[in-house]
Amino acid sequence: MIRLYDWELSVNCYKQRLLMALLEVPYEIVPVDFFPGWEHKSPEFGRINPLGHIPVLDDDGFIVRDANAILVYLATRYDPTRTWYPVADPELLALTAQWLMFSEGTTNTASAARLHDGLGYDFDVEACRAGAHRLFRVLDEHLWFGEREGRHWVCPSPHPTIADLAIFPDVALSEEGGISRVDYPAVRRWMDRVRHLPGFVGMPGISPPLATSPPSVG
Amino acid sequence: MASSRPEGQGWFPVAASDDAVAHHVVEAVLAERELAVWRDDDGWVNVWENRCLHRGVRLSIGHNEGMELVCQYHGWRYASRTAGCTYIPAHPADAPARTMCNRTYPAIERYGLIWTTLADATGSDGPPSSAPLESGSTLPLRAMAVNVPAGRALDSLAGLDLPDPNSPDGTTGGPHRRIDGFTLVAGSGEGVVVFFAQPVAAERCVVRGVVGPAPDEGATLALLRRFNRFLTEWRDEVEAQAEFRPGKRATPPPPTPAIAACSDGTRTRVRVSRRWLTARDVVAVELEAVDGVLPTVQPGAHIDVHLPGGLVRQYSLVNEPGRQDVYLIGVKLEPESRGGSRWIHQSLSVGDVLTIGGPHNNFALRRDAQLTLLIAGGIGITPLLSMARSLHRSGIDFRLHHFARSPEHLAFTDLLAGLGEHHRPHLGLDPAATTVELESILAEPGAGHQVYICGPGPMADAARRVAAEKGWPEESVHFEYFANTRPRDDRHPFTVELARSALTLEVPAGRSILEVVRENGVQLESSCEQGACGTCTVGVIEGVVDHQDVHLSERERAEGRRVVTCVSRAAGDRLVLDL
Amino acid sequence: MEQSTESDICTDPVIRDQWYPLRALAELPEGATHHTRLLGVPVSCGVTRGRPWARTESAPGDGGTGALPVIDTYGYLWTSLGEPPPGVFEIPEYTEPDRRSMNAGSFIVATSAPRAVENFLDMGHFPYVHTGYLGIEPHTEVNPYDVEIIDGEIWATRCEFFQPMAAATATGGQMSKYTYRVPSPFAVMLYKSSPVDPERRDVIALLLQPMGHEQVVAHNFLCLLDDVNSDAEIKRFQQIIFAQDKPILENQIPRRLPLDPRAETPIRADHTSIVYRRHLRELGVNYGVVPA
Repeated sequence: MIRLYDWELSVNCYKQRLLMALLEVPYEIVPVDFFPGWEHKSPEFGRINPLGHIPVLDDDGFIVRDANAILVYLATRYDPTRTWYPVADPELLALTAQWLMFSEGTTNTASAARLHDGLGYDFDVEACRAGAHRLFRVLDEHLWFGEREGRHWVCPSPHPTIADLAIFPDVALSEEGGISRVDYPAVRRWMDRVRHLPGFVGMPGISPPLATSPPSVG
Repeated sequence: MASSRPEGQGWFPVAASDDAVAHHVVEAVLAERELAVWRDDDGWVNVWENRCLHRGVRLSIGHNEGMELVCQYHGWRYASRTAGCTYIPAHPADAPARTMCNRTYPAIERYGLIWTTLADATGSDGPPSSAPLESGSTLPLRAMAVNVPAGRALDSLAGLDLPDPNSPDGTTGGPHRRIDGFTLVAGSGEGVVVFFAQPVAAERCVVRGVVGPAPDEGATLALLRRFNRFLTEWRDEVEAQAEFRPGKRATPPPPTPAIAACSDGTRTRVRVSRRWLTARDVVAVELEAVDGVLPTVQPGAHIDVHLPGGLVRQYSLVNEPGRQDVYLIGVKLEPESRGGSRWIHQSLSVGDVLTIGGPHNNFALRRDAQLTLLIAGGIGITPLLSMARSLHRSGIDFRLHHFARSPEHLAFTDLLAGLGEHHRPHLGLDPAATTVELESILAEPGAGHQVYICGPGPMADAARRVAAEKGWPEESVHFEYFANTRPRDDRHPFTVELARSALTLEVPAGRSILEVVRENGVQLESSCEQGACGTCTVGVIEGVVDHQDVHLSERERAEGRRVVTCVSRAAGDRLVLDL
Repeated sequence: MEQSTESDICTDPVIRDQWYPLRALAELPEGATHHTRLLGVPVSCGVTRGRPWARTESAPGDGGTGALPVIDTYGYLWTSLGEPPPGVFEIPEYTEPDRRSMNAGSFIVATSAPRAVENFLDMGHFPYVHTGYLGIEPHTEVNPYDVEIIDGEIWATRCEFFQPMAAATATGGQMSKYTYRVPSPFAVMLYKSSPVDPERRDVIALLLQPMGHEQVVAHNFLCLLDDVNSDAEIKRFQQIIFAQDKPILENQIPRRLPLDPRAETPIRADHTSIVYRRHLRELGVNYGVVPA
């Protein structure tokens, strides 16, 4: 059985829950009192992850940490269609890796601003917000042209990849860090497409769509 | 800076037409006013203040369900076009008041952009016409949000060499033509590019370029990329000079009152836009607004149609909420017509202008049932078809049982076909067979099931009786009668006291409470005035009521807390009314 | 954290004189100093040699610093900028030995304290905001309930709502019975039938520390009957609920609560909120509100 060391409000933990829901992979949650208990910094948790971070995934004794690494593992092991992490196509795989790296940027800016604004983390929030806007501008341009080229996801594949899931939560919760998305209409439409994926689950702050409003892939 | 359109006064683009895709809500800001922009399933573009009238939550975090926008906070539903509230889940049995209406702004699509104005639009002729774009097709560029004031952005562009839409790598030199403070035209000869500035806040704007005529399809993407590259580099430069400020939400201006000036629905002028025979003896009539938009439709609602000679007749709307570009009614020729249906059948023509009242809704649809049974007899299909369409769109389970004499008597068959298996016709049954069928339909009062019945008196009475026999709780069975066919007795005189108005009035034989109250200057809304629709119902504080209506349920009669003032009377000498 | 401004300084006596929690004591290790803001004033607090303390830091337009009164109760360090009553309002359940009390988390929210109070008093949003937990369609109806003001506190009684998963201990749907209480203008509590023992009630409080007009720290206080779940599981449930409310609160325009009855459109289900807004008007509260 897969066990996910998880804090419900963590964007990086949510990325894993979302992928496992989309892949219909059953798993158990091990709640970590990340806030306010700082359990991830405890000596006990240090034995699971010496870096003191969540998420950590334990798949029958195989332990892997770091959001993107877990996504790579889950997609490679549990997606028989090989579309979420397209290992058979060198170019698509490289672009997936490229956009996974982009998600490191959105996590370190947009999601950092969220931790500052909601939990009082001592970050330079103006720098975080400015950095997030620089990335969102690039993402919006990429997705806007994608809509005109028949590409609906960040990678040129008819199917979303784990790169979409790695970026999505940072963007979808950006307003909790004071980062408006009003200037990024193509990003907002892409968020709607992600939310309409069959099997989609939300998290606090990210609602699933109404069952009665089907998506428009436009 | 030339500026013939002060910010917030004129028409400005707030989104590209392509931004407003189906089932999506676009967020926009114009002159610090936040807007929710959404397209309905009929293609109509709504521009609303981005604030739910109930608790101020941004509507842009809500859901575009196709014909209605649903607020994320409490699930309140608002109709396309009017922004009128159609349903409040916390009170599923109640029809929302007509005055519950979010603030709307006019919307016009032109040059591939969505335009609006924050000013009072009456008498305004819409977006500025840009002569170079009028002649043919247009291609909107990717919008560029810039953290500099609108005027400054266009000042800067005016002096630059811009990409020439006529040649794949040529440029066109400035200065370009400044039409006004918010419009700049560049290029000559065949193709031009026009930049419209959307003022967002004092130091922010969105520059929206449009190329006309649109290039060949094969050249479109390259042109879009070329302009986008140019505008991106220009933005970075102009922002660097202005000191970069990351985009923030605009500071909202003081909110407008929650209850906007939406139609109170008392009187609307409409024109007959279509009429056709939809079934034997049933004419369908489409009514369009003479000016503005038609008031909000709720499932089950009816309008009062004012006919020549002072006649007023009630007709249920077939429309579903939001889908109300025209009102659709079905009028059956009554053999004993006093002039209403006969006049509509024989004299009403396309182009005629009528006055209507309402819509009123005394037949509100709950959306919290596990299963909704709609039971229609003949022309009673009209309000139930409106309900069925609304439930069908939302994927709420229902059956529409439809009693009619023959297939030729089924009205609106095109709309019925859209309901698929949910529509169950029962044709050619005599009263006894109808009762047997009703006994089967209503065999079991399911938990969380609701029944809505509309049809001619004998059929509705039969359904009501069967439901009671089968043990359906009274509050789960809802009726709308076409008419009150019960005999009435108005011989008994009595006194009414109006508690809030501090008036004591005598109601003589032959007169109704409603008439006497109105004569004494107290406002009281009414519709059918024959005890069927319930519009004129008033609370009773003291006294026993002689109920003569068909609107109230048995329980409501027994409780005696409400009186339908157009027909019912005091059983004793006196009634004290909450009026 | 946004910088406080002169205009965030509170001048309402009724608001200045209340007690406000600054920090859960469990999150305040001996010797550490916690810096925060209260009603526009930068303040700090800590526990030194077992004694809790709080003081103002240099306030805008002031410059002085000074010791503030402190109370240590319900697991929090409380202070006040005015002349507070002798004690914080009573929560008698806190002393019952079989209860577990904890701070489920203190979150900074970009809203006003009264908007947060009003949302906590609201049942109609359960099926839409707490879908699958505190409510679910089609069970959307809010039945009539009673509201009264007793000794200056608002009490809403006979409240009930269908809940698919009312608490971390819940095993299925139930009609939950609620009592709401507003013991001070910016604190709000609920008493809710316990899934473990139907005769007794869980106590949940949202204790607001207004940092400014439009920014609060929301301290989630729990006092529950639960001998099954771990602290992490209990906190997880409450944090899910609160974090679902947070984006709603941060998307309300305006952020301050309008006290003019015509500014927004209440319905019967909003009975408690109607009384709360009127109560704030009658108390003369100007902080975190748009005055009528």
